[in-house]
Amino acid sequence: MEAQTTTGKFVVPIGPQHPALKEPGHFEFTVDGEIVTGASVRLGFVHRGIEKGAEARNWVQNMYMVERVCGICSHVHATAYALGVEQLAGVTAPPRAQAIRELVAELERVHSHMLWLGVAAHEGGFDTLFMYSWRDRETVMDLLEAICGNRVHYSVNLLGGVKYDIDDKLADQLRKGVDFLEGRCEHYMKVVTTDETFVGRTKNVGKMSKEEAYELGSVGPTARASGVDRDIRIDAPYVSYEQFPVKLITDDAGDLQARFVVRIKELYESFRLIREILDHMPEGELTVKVPRRIPAGEAISRVEAPRGELLYFLKSNGTDIPDRVKIRTPSLCNWSSVVNYAVGHKLADMPMLLAGIDPCFSCNDRSVTIHRGGNVQNDWSWEQLRQYGIAYYR
Amino acid sequence: MMDTEKFLKSAEELLSPLGLPLSRSASFRLDAIVTTDTLVPAAKALMDGKWGYLSAITGLDIPAPAPAEGETPGENHMEVLYQFCNGPAVTTLRITVPYSKPVVPSICGIIPMATLYEREIIEMFGITMEGTPNTDKLLLPDDWPDGVFPLRKEFTGFGTKPAGVEGA
Repeated sequence: MEAQTTTGKFVVPIGPQHPALKEPGHFEFTVDGEIVTGASVRLGFVHRGIEKGAEARNWVQNMYMVERVCGICSHVHATAYALGVEQLAGVTAPPRAQAIRELVAELERVHSHMLWLGVAAHEGGFDTLFMYSWRDRETVMDLLEAICGNRVHYSVNLLGGVKYDIDDKLADQLRKGVDFLEGRCEHYMKVVTTDETFVGRTKNVGKMSKEEAYELGSVGPTARASGVDRDIRIDAPYVSYEQFPVKLITDDAGDLQARFVVRIKELYESFRLIREILDHMPEGELTVKVPRRIPAGEAISRVEAPRGELLYFLKSNGTDIPDRVKIRTPSLCNWSSVVNYAVGHKLADMPMLLAGIDPCFSCNDRSVTIHRGGNVQNDWSWEQLRQYGIAYYR
Repeated sequence: MMDTEKFLKSAEELLSPLGLPLSRSASFRLDAIVTTDTLVPAAKALMDGKWGYLSAITGLDIPAPAPAEGETPGENHMEVLYQFCNGPAVTTLRITVPYSKPVVPSICGIIPMATLYEREIIEMFGITMEGTPNTDKLLLPDDWPDGVFPLRKEFTGFGTKPAGVEGA
């Protein structure tokens, strides 16, 4: 807020009802003509007090709550939480459960990166790419639905294991889906590296050097696009990342284009991992028993979310309710990088730069309940809704 | 696992000149107890030694246990944990402050990006970060009452019930 009181500067407030990002956030850009000379951020418009709420629910209930921290990367939150609780309880989930956790995490990464690709393209005024990548993203959403019955909030994790198994039929479906998506991503890679308009808007825009990325505490693909070799899946392997390792993807360019390239290359890695896990899925049980009361102690659990390092700190006082659940999400780390590299760019580049770190926003609900006056009410399937739409506009 | 041990050893070496009480709370974790005087030098030692990065600042409220009959209640405390990560290893600098003087020096002079984390601690726990560059609200609403710190254990909501709800 101090920017407003500075004399002789012109401040452009953007948000909280943001025309570009579909998530509330408030930014103040100090401008000199077209050029941004300063930026500040104010968050919390969707703050829901989840950390406080966790202190009033038991360990099992919290599992379901932390999944709702984010609609896009719900699985990594549940995984980080479950790993932390298992650490405190002194149990380890069986190998097959760990492999399924990794499999779903990679599918989630595919869905998240493709969603981001579309959004970032949209912010750049490139709606064709937005439409195509979101159409293709439906494939991975369908695969996730086939595994667990949900497009978002997969709820695959349990304390001590997973709920859903992968059978041969499902594995074939996953392989087919992944093959299709890989072909599409090769096309997208070509688009983001060769399309003249697109390159014009991304190349050398929003540059962040490796040193700056370290200093600003950037995480995830945003940091890796500046050459920071940091990925929790490699640095501190969790679930089955030791058995099915991932290759580190970095890029030295550090501009907006590099953030596209890194994410698309990460998609290739995810596809490879998904196939490898399906081919070498360990046999065995899906769960182990976890006590209702968790022994007193502290646990730190770190995972690599699609947006970067996610850290959970759990403290138990020996009861069935946690004493403290601290969540440090990757988006918080990356804000300082945006506020920093925005300086010196045109105001018109801001939406894309903001989108460049892949800030989180919610997914849509798609079950539609139709009220036709009175008490008549029925739920429509997607197909019925589609037919209704076709008939309506005929 | 070898790496973890190597990283923790080097953190111990960096922190040992300060004479801090060190302990291993898990195979991959090193805890160092710091005071208002040693927090900043400890953070500087880790940063100068290129030991990883600040991953999170966690606040903990530790109310004194309920006093036994006839005894005076003990003082409530809060703890701030600075979690530094390096590969698989985590070093935590732990500082405890009493309710009567909830003041911790800011580490923004050494790690400028800590400002967002410090702002979160300031508004959630009511801990003063001495010398922090920005104390504006980050997450709580503009009209949040002064002196109410939601992550302290004593805070259990405002006690109002939504209009039209009976018996809540």
